[in-house]
Amino acid sequence: MLLRLEALSKRFGRDWVIRDLSLSLDRGEVVALLGPNGSGKTTLLRLMAGLLKPTRGRVERQGHALFLPNPPAFHRHLTAREHLLFDLAFHGAAGDWEGALKRFGLPAELPLAAFSSGMKKRLALARLTLLRPDLWLLDEPETALDQEGRALLQETIREARKGASVVLATHDRALAEAVADRAVWLGAA
Amino acid sequence: MLNAAHPERPDALTWVFLGLGLLLLPLGLYLALAAPPDVNQGYLARIMYLHVPGAWLGYLAFAVTFVYSLLYLFRQDPRYDRVASASAEIGLVFMGLALVTGMLWARPTWGVYWTWEPRLTTTAILFAVYVGYFLLRGAIEDPELRRKAAAAVGILGFLNVPISYMSVKWWRSLHQTQSIDLTTGKIHMDPAMLQALLLNLVVFTFLYLGFVRFRGFLAALEERKEEA
Amino acid sequence: MWLLALRDLRLEVRDRAGLLSVLAFLGVTLFTMALALGPEEAPLRRAAPGVLWVALAFLSTLLSTRAFALEVEEGTLEDLLLAPGGKEWIYFGKLLFQMLLLLPLSLLALFLAAGLFYLPLEKGLPLFLTLALGTLGYASVATFYAGLLSRLRGREALLPLLLFSLVVPVVLASVRATAGLLEGLPLEEVASWWQLLLVFDAVYVTASALLFPLVMDG
Repeated sequence: MLLRLEALSKRFGRDWVIRDLSLSLDRGEVVALLGPNGSGKTTLLRLMAGLLKPTRGRVERQGHALFLPNPPAFHRHLTAREHLLFDLAFHGAAGDWEGALKRFGLPAELPLAAFSSGMKKRLALARLTLLRPDLWLLDEPETALDQEGRALLQETIREARKGASVVLATHDRALAEAVADRAVWLGAA
Repeated sequence: MLNAAHPERPDALTWVFLGLGLLLLPLGLYLALAAPPDVNQGYLARIMYLHVPGAWLGYLAFAVTFVYSLLYLFRQDPRYDRVASASAEIGLVFMGLALVTGMLWARPTWGVYWTWEPRLTTTAILFAVYVGYFLLRGAIEDPELRRKAAAAVGILGFLNVPISYMSVKWWRSLHQTQSIDLTTGKIHMDPAMLQALLLNLVVFTFLYLGFVRFRGFLAALEERKEEA
Repeated sequence: MWLLALRDLRLEVRDRAGLLSVLAFLGVTLFTMALALGPEEAPLRRAAPGVLWVALAFLSTLLSTRAFALEVEEGTLEDLLLAPGGKEWIYFGKLLFQMLLLLPLSLLALFLAAGLFYLPLEKGLPLFLTLALGTLGYASVATFYAGLLSRLRGREALLPLLLFSLVVPVVLASVRATAGLLEGLPLEEVASWWQLLLVFDAVYVTASALLFPLVMDG
């Protein structure tokens, strides 16, 4: 068991965003979170990551989780190379950053301020493949990606599930059907 | 000092503390006014019966806030936070009372309302820390972040007490020539005066305990309303 | 911890706007104070340590807000929080970053003050020690509070209020130590202020490092 949510509820101010949600996830599983805007997909991912504390209920997590926000967050004054090198070192990991950049078709020496949103998405995926978390939490990973980028995303998720599990929040039914074993539908708040 | 998680009304102990405090308050005041005037300071010394218990309980209250803030951070139970903030609130009232009465006493005695004496300065700093504590609480909407931030201020602020005291003490001793030390103006106490002072201390302690428990109860109600 | 500090330093240098505003602030403050208190030499010299440390106090608030504002603006604070290993290292990294900037800046401030306020600089090393201990005192608390408030609107107003009531001992001790050194008091008399600063630094670095993971989590 990699992740278990027990009767999870989260409230912001007076509004309940998530109510009584239970879910468990094994290594190797891919789960898609579906639902309209404002149905709590991002909140749920952040709860899973431990970035938010549940109002009620529990999150049990084994292993290391990483969260890919939408849009992805980077320092604009660093280059892709510097960012990946820092992330690798800060996480105490080693990896072939040059290969990863090449694979995702990204320039190494351009400051991120000059990256398009699709390139940033690709960089975020490259970063995850390098850091190899046990739990991948992806928030709308398909947005801003072109055809080739989407193919890369699917490939990345399929590779990731070999050793880890993936939760992705998405509006793309086709993507969910292509990669996910299960889907969780979150209703409107 | 913890109330139950969801009380319907303040419990018996709260009423006992409040009742004892309120009942004994007139007696304390009577004894204070009946106590003989001080040899040097005359009737002015009577302000002491309010000043000393006020300051004493102010420090006690902030110490309680410190302890419960620590407990909150390690246990994450909102009840601890309620006690910490209730205690800080009551502490601010008592400390304010001590500062005001102190200034009223200082004006005729020392000729000034304020002097940079170590104990005064430390008290003023502590007062400012807890004003900040409540401004911070007011500024944060998320209840959990609010509790944590407040707890951090409650802890760091109280750690500062001995360091501030030392720094102001040295600062003055190295700099100023005039020296007014509260301890040199010590009042030798008549038994009647001591009795009155001690009784007032007890009365204030009861009031403090009652207020904190009552305030904690109100905070619990507020929180429940926020949740509903 | 060095990683984070050096990366932040690189960001700060590339950003330029932040560093320039900090430098401008320092220059303008010292210059205006010198104009306001001058032009006689004696009062200027007497006021110099106070002016210097007040300027440094504001400088450290500015810097500490920036240390976390950059992360929050870009949304990268969460990446740091999700990294394996203790969150206290984020605190230490940010603190180190501040010190790496504050130390040269405070030296610069000292030289500026020396020029504008007619200060003698013979005791270079003890003065530098005072600067280091004092700025560490400021930065230890400022970094902690800046991290705590980083997710809050209106932090610019709250930070000084929370900070300045805590750092009173640092202000007093640093000003006295600096004044003592400039007046040529023997080192033994200044040493007790250093001790006080050292105690403050030790207490607050430890307490902040212990509390930081607790308040940043969730």
